[in-house]
Amino acid sequence: MRMAETLAEGFPDLSQMTVARQPHWRRWLAAAGILVILAAVGRAFAGGQIEWSYVGRFLTAKVILEGIINTMVMAVLAMAFGIALGVAVAIMRLSPNPVLKSVAAGYTWLFRGTPLILQLLLWFNLALVFPTIGIPGLWSLRAVDVMTPFLSALLGLGINQGAYTSEVIRAGMLSVDAGQYEAAQAIGMGRLRALRRIILPQAMRVVIPPLGNEFIGLVKATSLASVIQYPEVLHNAENIYYANSRVIELLIVAGLWYLLVVSILTPLQMLLERRFARGYLQAAR
Amino acid sequence: MMRLSIFAGISALIALAPVNAAELPEPIRQAGVLRLTVNSTYAPMEYRDPATNELVGLDIDLAGEIAKRLGVKITWSETPFAELIPSLQTRRADFIISGISDRSSRRETADFVDYLTTGPQFFVLAENAARATTDLCGKKVGTTRSTSFPIDIEKWSKQNCEAAGLAAVQYVPGENSIDVRNQLKQGRIDAAVQGSETLPYALAQETGKYRIVGEPFAKGYQGIMFRKDDAALREAITEQLAAMIADGSYKAILDKYGLGGNAVARPVMNAAPQ
Amino acid sequence: MTQPLVAIRSVSKNFGEFQALKQVSLDVYPGEVLCLIGASGSGKTTLLRCINQLISIDSGGIWVDGELLGLRERDGRLHRLTSREIARQRLKTGMVFQRFNLFPHKTALENITEGPVQVQGRNGNEARAEAMELLRRVGLEAKADAYPSQLSGGQQQRVAIARALAMKPMLMLFDEPTSALDPELVGEVLSVMKGLARSGMTMLVVTHELGFAREVADRVVYMDHGAIVESGRTADVLGAPREARTQAFLSAVI
Repeated sequence: MRMAETLAEGFPDLSQMTVARQPHWRRWLAAAGILVILAAVGRAFAGGQIEWSYVGRFLTAKVILEGIINTMVMAVLAMAFGIALGVAVAIMRLSPNPVLKSVAAGYTWLFRGTPLILQLLLWFNLALVFPTIGIPGLWSLRAVDVMTPFLSALLGLGINQGAYTSEVIRAGMLSVDAGQYEAAQAIGMGRLRALRRIILPQAMRVVIPPLGNEFIGLVKATSLASVIQYPEVLHNAENIYYANSRVIELLIVAGLWYLLVVSILTPLQMLLERRFARGYLQAAR
Repeated sequence: MMRLSIFAGISALIALAPVNAAELPEPIRQAGVLRLTVNSTYAPMEYRDPATNELVGLDIDLAGEIAKRLGVKITWSETPFAELIPSLQTRRADFIISGISDRSSRRETADFVDYLTTGPQFFVLAENAARATTDLCGKKVGTTRSTSFPIDIEKWSKQNCEAAGLAAVQYVPGENSIDVRNQLKQGRIDAAVQGSETLPYALAQETGKYRIVGEPFAKGYQGIMFRKDDAALREAITEQLAAMIADGSYKAILDKYGLGGNAVARPVMNAAPQ
Repeated sequence: MTQPLVAIRSVSKNFGEFQALKQVSLDVYPGEVLCLIGASGSGKTTLLRCINQLISIDSGGIWVDGELLGLRERDGRLHRLTSREIARQRLKTGMVFQRFNLFPHKTALENITEGPVQVQGRNGNEARAEAMELLRRVGLEAKADAYPSQLSGGQQQRVAIARALAMKPMLMLFDEPTSALDPELVGEVLSVMKGLARSGMTMLVVTHELGFAREVADRVVYMDHGAIVESGRTADVLGAPREARTQAFLSAVI
């Protein structure tokens, strides 16, 4: 008959003792230090040469509200355009067809490789190169009539965004297990249907956080369209301070609106991520 | 009798004696340097010479001559137009001489010593049919949006177009004078407006491309901008400017840039009508 | 003699320098269960994947149900089929993968109806009814609305089998179907496969489970270094192998 095992001597039973709470002195000290610095910065801003009455007065001015609406409209439209382009280009980049692959690579290289403000200015001033747009003999339009600030901003921001989005989506697609594509093929799906029904939906989970990030960046990049006279919030704030010289006050007005928009977008992105994680969040049995 | 003549004699001596030259404030005199900043995209007032990339212009020359007479040097820096007034307020610059128009909305915290007449003026592409300024009623007219010209155009349109039963001028904003001329070339606008002091240079750059229409349609001044509490500095500079007008060196500088016609008879403070 | 359902003739495949298949020839008859055994790298999985064209062969030919795969013969020359035609040819076979490859963003039921509805254009309600029947057959009708992450490995593999069967293939290919399963879950999957064999499905199974082969397979094929070393009736190959290499392999795994 086997004997029960005995344990060695010298190791006491600690199971009845509780662990004491740590005081975390250094954390409290750091927090206090940061609060002091923030208070000092706040004091400086409050007492500086800023006329806060102007900030209050213009915060809800009609042109400022119109401006922030135009900012959001452009950001949403340009992002939608950028995502549509990005998906198409990502699929082209991963295609077995070398022509499609090269076109996709070339597009990404060109539009990520040049500054956004340069692209916006080129679209707006397209008429310097192409005075008319159209099919010779059939119809033609003056480029200046077509390239309004709105359309120039949409093309400039959207096409630029597409280059960045295509890389995010390509990475998302590559992150999906190769076996998924094989399984889709095994039930007879062609490449495009497999991408649409099986690969891209799974890629979305990985793609939403960086795309949310891109969108927040795009909201602020719309401010560059001010130089091509698109009436977004920075452009309109500038017009006000060109008239009354209150530069810092009006920039603070515009800055507060951008902060508000981004503060609303961040939790929205979280909700979107949760929706696409359906099927992953439920714990495995 | 005796007291009167002594009084007269002393008065005459005081009148004849050279006025104590207004002195630069102590800190500037000690440093021996005037810190000035310009928006160097405004030919011919201040700009970078395309050939040599040197900072040149009418304001540069005027300021340089004033500084020489006061026995100090100048350190030049460059900022965007919108930063000029903040630079003055934050004391990054001692005063601003950068093609700034004297306007009452700017006089809350500053005083202007006006030294050049100016005024917005229309110009079109050479092949444009417009001859009189009223030909521009109902047309698209562009100008730099950060200037006072959009308001000037609106006023002119009300007085000369709408009052005469013609369509109002359609104002189209531009980012700077290069952008505005680009829009003119592309046909996005029919006419453009710039300060009259900039037109001789602009037209000379692209000979035969543009044509001025009419005279400057509003009267204004370019002023040297000083902080309101800086009276001593302002007086010192004003004095030197007056001396330069008197001895002809002011006119010589203006003529160098083809702007002899924009001369003022003497420096005036805060003279612009609006 | 009946025509083989699958006829493989002199098929070769190289991956760069590595010769995965060297002039392999094999027949698979309707209704039979054939097990492919051999060490890793022997080419058995490669051969399987050539049959549903997940891998394209370098030379030789494979016919399924009398149709040449991936190629068309015209005027004495071979021309490749379009990807759409190849996708259609894949409908004749169903594949079950070692790592299940269920679509994680769809429920078990949706995994099974995806092919019939999307690819074959079948009516949604009909497809769902048939899918439920298939789930019943593999013993998982209670898990119809579960996501793959909520299922055990054995359950996922059974759903994967149902998914392949939903396309009504003539031939089922199994690529080491139980290799990724915990030992206690292997039995439920093998049991489903046995049921499938009994119902008359033609099955080609790459496996290490020699017990399954002994019980269910009609023929066994032993491969090594890209070639078939020995093939024949199960009892013969597993009980009294002729080739020395077959003997060595069997004694190593038993």
